[in-house]
Parts: sequence; C-alpha cells; structure tokens
Amino acid sequence: MSAKHVLASVVSVLAFLIIGFSVPAAAQDAPIQIIFWHAMSGSRGQVVQELVDQFNAQYEKGQVIAEFKGSYAETLTAALAGVRAGNPPHIVQVYEVGTRSILDSGAIVPIMEVSNGQLDQTKFVEPILNYYSIDGGLQCMPFNSSTAMLYYNKDIFAAAGLDPETPPTTYEELYQMGRQIIDSGAAPGAISYGWPAWILEQTFAMHNQLLANQDNGRSGLATEVYFNSDFGVEVLREWQRWAQDGILVYGGREYSANDPFLAGQFAMLVQSTSSLGGIQKNASFELGTAFLPRIPGYEMGNNVVGGGCLWTMAGYSREEYDVIWDFFQFLSATEQDAAWHKGTGYFPASNATVAALEAEGWFEQNPNFLTAFQQILSGEDTIASRGALLGEFVTIRDIVGAAIEEVLVNGQDPKAALDSATAEINQLLADYAALNQ
Amino acid sequence: MHSSSFPSRWLPYLLIAPSALLVVIFFIYPALQSLYLSLYRVNLVRGQYLYVGLENFERLLNSQEYINSLVTTGTFTLFVVVVGLSLSLLLALGASQRLRGFSIYRTLLIWPFALSPAIVGAIWALITDPTIGVLTNGLKSIGINFNRVTSSSDAFLFICIAATWNMLGYNVIFFLAGLKNIPPELLEAASLDGANVWVRFWKIVFPLLSPTTFFLLIMNTLYACFEVFGLIDVTTQGGPGRATNMLIYKLYNDGFKNINLIGSASAQSILLLIMVTTLTLLQFRFAGRRAFYR
Repeated sequence: MSAKHVLASVVSVLAFLIIGFSVPAAAQDAPIQIIFWHAMSGSRGQVVQELVDQFNAQYEKGQVIAEFKGSYAETLTAALAGVRAGNPPHIVQVYEVGTRSILDSGAIVPIMEVSNGQLDQTKFVEPILNYYSIDGGLQCMPFNSSTAMLYYNKDIFAAAGLDPETPPTTYEELYQMGRQIIDSGAAPGAISYGWPAWILEQTFAMHNQLLANQDNGRSGLATEVYFNSDFGVEVLREWQRWAQDGILVYGGREYSANDPFLAGQFAMLVQSTSSLGGIQKNASFELGTAFLPRIPGYEMGNNVVGGGCLWTMAGYSREEYDVIWDFFQFLSATEQDAAWHKGTGYFPASNATVAALEAEGWFEQNPNFLTAFQQILSGEDTIASRGALLGEFVTIRDIVGAAIEEVLVNGQDPKAALDSATAEINQLLADYAALNQ
Repeated sequence: MHSSSFPSRWLPYLLIAPSALLVVIFFIYPALQSLYLSLYRVNLVRGQYLYVGLENFERLLNSQEYINSLVTTGTFTLFVVVVGLSLSLLLALGASQRLRGFSIYRTLLIWPFALSPAIVGAIWALITDPTIGVLTNGLKSIGINFNRVTSSSDAFLFICIAATWNMLGYNVIFFLAGLKNIPPELLEAASLDGANVWVRFWKIVFPLLSPTTFFLLIMNTLYACFEVFGLIDVTTQGGPGRATNMLIYKLYNDGFKNINLIGSASAQSILLLIMVTTLTLLQFRFAGRRAFYR
C-alpha cells in the first residue's frame, strides 16, 4: 500500500467523521424547546420535575425541559461557560450569592423584558422583591426563597429547667440559657450554626449594618467590605466566647450541623428555613422555631432572603421568551406556588399564595412554616437589610467561612481574622471591578 | 544501516500522528493556554483579557494563604509517602508468605485502590462522622475526642490517613511483584551464611526492591499533589480554617468556582507543574541513582 492510499483512506475517514457529526445539527424544525437548568437535588428536584411535567401536559406552544446541573455553584459556572460557548440554557436557577455574577455577565434578559412589560412586580412578597430588584427593577423570576431562623429542641429546654415556649431573643439570653443547658447536663452543647458565613451576613443585615460600600453593592460595584467593622468584630467576639465556654459547638460550613442537632448533641440550631421539612420529619423531639436572637442597642434591620431565582438568558427569539413567560406565570400561580412551598419549605413567592395558605389554615397547622415568614415581614426595609450584592460572592463566603473557623476552632483573635479576610476580599473586589467596568 | 521496513518516509509519521495529535490537543495545547492565561487577568464570560505580566505569580508568592497551602501540601505529601510506603512494605512482606488462603488476603489488600478518592472520602467521612461515626465513637469510649469538623489538626490527620489508605492497595501490589522477583536462592544462601531476618531484609530484600520503591515514591508524590481533590471536596472542603486547603484544591476553587480568578489559577497550575517536575527530577537524581537495577 502506498502512502497515497493511506493518505486517501485517512482523509476519507476524517471526512466521514466530520459529516457524521454535523448532520444531526442541521435537522431543526421541532416545536419550541425551553432548556431549564436547576440545582435542586433529591426531593426538591422531584417537586421541580412535577411542576414542569404539569406545565408540559397542559401547554401547547412549547415544551420545558428541566435539567439538574449539580450544585448551585456548578449550575452557575455551567451557565456562564454556556454563554462563552454560545449555547446557554434558556432559563437558569442562580442562588442569591451568584446574583452579581450572572447580572454582570451581560448575558441575561430582565424579567420585565421577558414578560413584555406585563409582569406586576407588586404581586411578590416584598423582601423577596427587594432582594432581586437591582438597577430599578426586578431582574429575575423569584422561585425558591429562604432565610435563616432558630430551631430548638423543646425537650432539652424542658430537661434543663427552661420554659420550652420561651426561646432566647437576645445574645445575652442565649448565653445564659446555653449555660443552664450545659450545666444541667441536658445536652453536651447549646447551639450550633449551619452556613456560618451566611449567618454572619444575616447578622449584619438584621442589625441594619452595611456589609459593603456602594449601597451594599446595589448602586454600583462594591469595592470594599465591612466584615472587620466594630460590629463584625463584636459579633465574632461573642461567638468566640460561646465557643470557648462550650455553648457553641462548631458544626461545619453547610448542613453538617443538622445531624448532631437531630441527635440531641445541642439544643439550638441556626439554619436555613429550607431545612425545615427535613428537620421536622426526622426530629424525635418536639421542635420549636423562633426568630434569630439579636444584639440589643442596634437599629432594626431585616433578614436577608437567600435561595434562588430564575434568570432568563439573552440571545433567544421573542417566541421563545413568550413560552418562558407563560412558564413563569404558571410557576407563580397560586396553586403551583403553594405546592412548591408545601413540598419544600421555601417561601411562597407571591402575596396571593400567602393569603390562600392563610385562608386554608395551613400556617395554623404548621406554625413552624410561619416563623421565618413572620421574621422577614417584621423587619425594616433599608439598604443594609436588603443584603449585599458582591462579585465573587462564592469565594468571599469561603474566605469568611475560613476566617470564622480560625476564630471558633483555632482561637484566633476575631479582629485579626476579619482584618485579613477583609483585605483579601477587597483585593478580589478590586480585580472584579477592573474586569467589569 | 538502512533497516526501515516502511514503503515511504512519511508513513511512520502518519501512523503516530493520531496519538501525537491527542497529546497536542489534550496536553500541550492546554498547558500553553495555561501559560498564556497566567499572564492575564481574565473575565471569561465577557471575553476580557487584561495583561498583568507576572503579577499573578507575584501575588501568589506574597500571599500567606498560598504559602500556607504549600506547607500543608508538603507535610501531607511527606506523610503519604513515608507512612504509606512503610506500611505498604510491611503489609506486602506479610502478604508474600506462602500460606493457604493468602491469595484471597492479597486480593483484599488491593481493594482500596479500586475506589476513587471521592468514594474513599465518603467512606471515611462516615467512619469518622463526629456524631455517628464508628471510629469517633470508639475513640470516645477510650477517652479520645477526635473531631474532624471542629479541629484543624484532626481534619488534617483525617485527610492524611484516608489518602494513605487509598494508595495502600496500589503500593502493596507493586511491592508484592517486587518481592516475587527476588531470587529465593539469594535469601537461602544468606541464611546459610547465618544472616538473620533483619540482616536479610536490609542487605538483600530492601536493595533489590529499590527500583520498585523508587517508582512508588514518584507515584505517591504525584498522587498526593494531584489526586486528592475528590477526597477533600467531599469531606473537609479545605477546612476547618485552611487546615486541608491543599494546592490542588485551592487551584480548583480559584479556577472553577470563581471564574474571574482563572489567571491566578493558571499561574498556580504552572507553579505546581514546576514544583512537581523539580521534585521528580531531584528524586531521579538522588534516589534514582541509588536504585539498584539488576
């Protein structure tokens, strides 16, 4: 066989491969398909799929295809990579810390535009609306919203001689009750935190403390954070004192504190409201919930809304946006919104749903579902209490998480830990601003 | 001497072209891309590239966090190599005895290596769970409080042990093969000359095993530097504090969770490449020379 023959056969194989791969792309005359990337695993993912199936069953102009893309961080990264590669999904669920990143990607269409101006923003529960209103309007479709609250074990409270119906409302009360719980031997520890870095952010907002300049990053790109302010240091000093006295048990960065709480290792847990369903189901004790305890002497702020929002990506046709808008309307209709809330523990997104749930007596039968809701509705709406929007928020939360661990686990001085974290974060923000002007 | 059996001068090149192409596409090109990106600050989504020269490297070398990560990785590597290799050799010596049923025992020893680091992490995370872990509760009953969530040193030890265990099977296989290649007559002659077990091991077995040991030294170093990502991600996620924030994990965090740090992540990968290459060359130079090849 001569070289020519070999060459010819190689070329023909290559040509075959190229043609073979490019043919399917040409066939495209199907009905409108809307790709929806989400980060809801387990039972939450099932609820998402059920809602999507319901929509598809009764809708004729198109189909929504829901795809689970992994954790929130992975979903966001995948969507941004999709933008870069020219094939983003139509809809992507982004968690609250990713808000700045997805917005600054310049690759999204605000919800107002998607709805052709038909969206009535006031139908959403106010704190949720406030969080996602940037540059003068709502940017994305509120979907799964949550916040942090205090869970407590009423049995341990009773065993320690405390009133199970009176959870602590201030830091000092928490400390005294914690003392009593461990001194009486009712539990080895008194309190633990899920998502400590997020709880620190919540604590800032609750006490009406700004977390970053540029109006918490809402009127422009923030370039400076205030984690090491007197307030931040005071909070961490307090937490450190609890840790040193055995009252606070460090429980990891995400949900790992839930299990020891359920096992009765400590009496109280500060955790996302989205854990309510799971904790309520698995608790072998009587569960109580309450507002987060406060430090007296500071102005009233509010808890920040966490969770996720549905963003619509740019680059698609008007027909596709119409289908997306129909899908969004379906999701936020009272029936589906209520099903979502009951199935997951996330807040109902619209005021109408809240009214319907009240009328039906849902909150009376499930008072723990009401706690967090009342908590966000009882706060003050200020710039600080709307929560900060920061570029690189994911990394920032990691940095703060590590600093908190240095303080609680390794006994580092709170001021020193927060100073170095703040310096590191400011550097990140400066780089971010330079790239996103 | 003309011994080519190819009909054409070009055919050999054509035949290696596919594999060469793969190497270029999947290794050379990304490496060059990293080198390029390490000189920039990048916003991938918006396609903005800001030339910053060596600033990415400069910042890394001046960053306490990076130095800390370097020291952690160094200590960890030392642990995996020294403890891992000693333990594996001990196990291999035991397993090389000719006894009934030992083939099953040998097979069992190899199992850990069949698991990916992420699975190893999940298994060890369960065993050492602060609340329900078998090991933690066992230790608690004898008065030792081991908590990888609330103690930085426990977390570090935990990663060291899990990683060493993961590599154990691999090491044992190679040591077993190495031991099998040692001619029994040498050992027999030595014992006739009155050499005891200890002397036989250090004077005959260990030197003859040196090529295997040297190979494993390199493989374990590479494992410790590059492959522990999954293990860390499913267990400690670099914490508590920064106790288990190894270079490779920090690199992932900066490069993937955090799209705008891709320049810094590229610089880290270049530095890591330089370090591991240097380490491997040093090993070849000093340990490799002592390896005794028959």
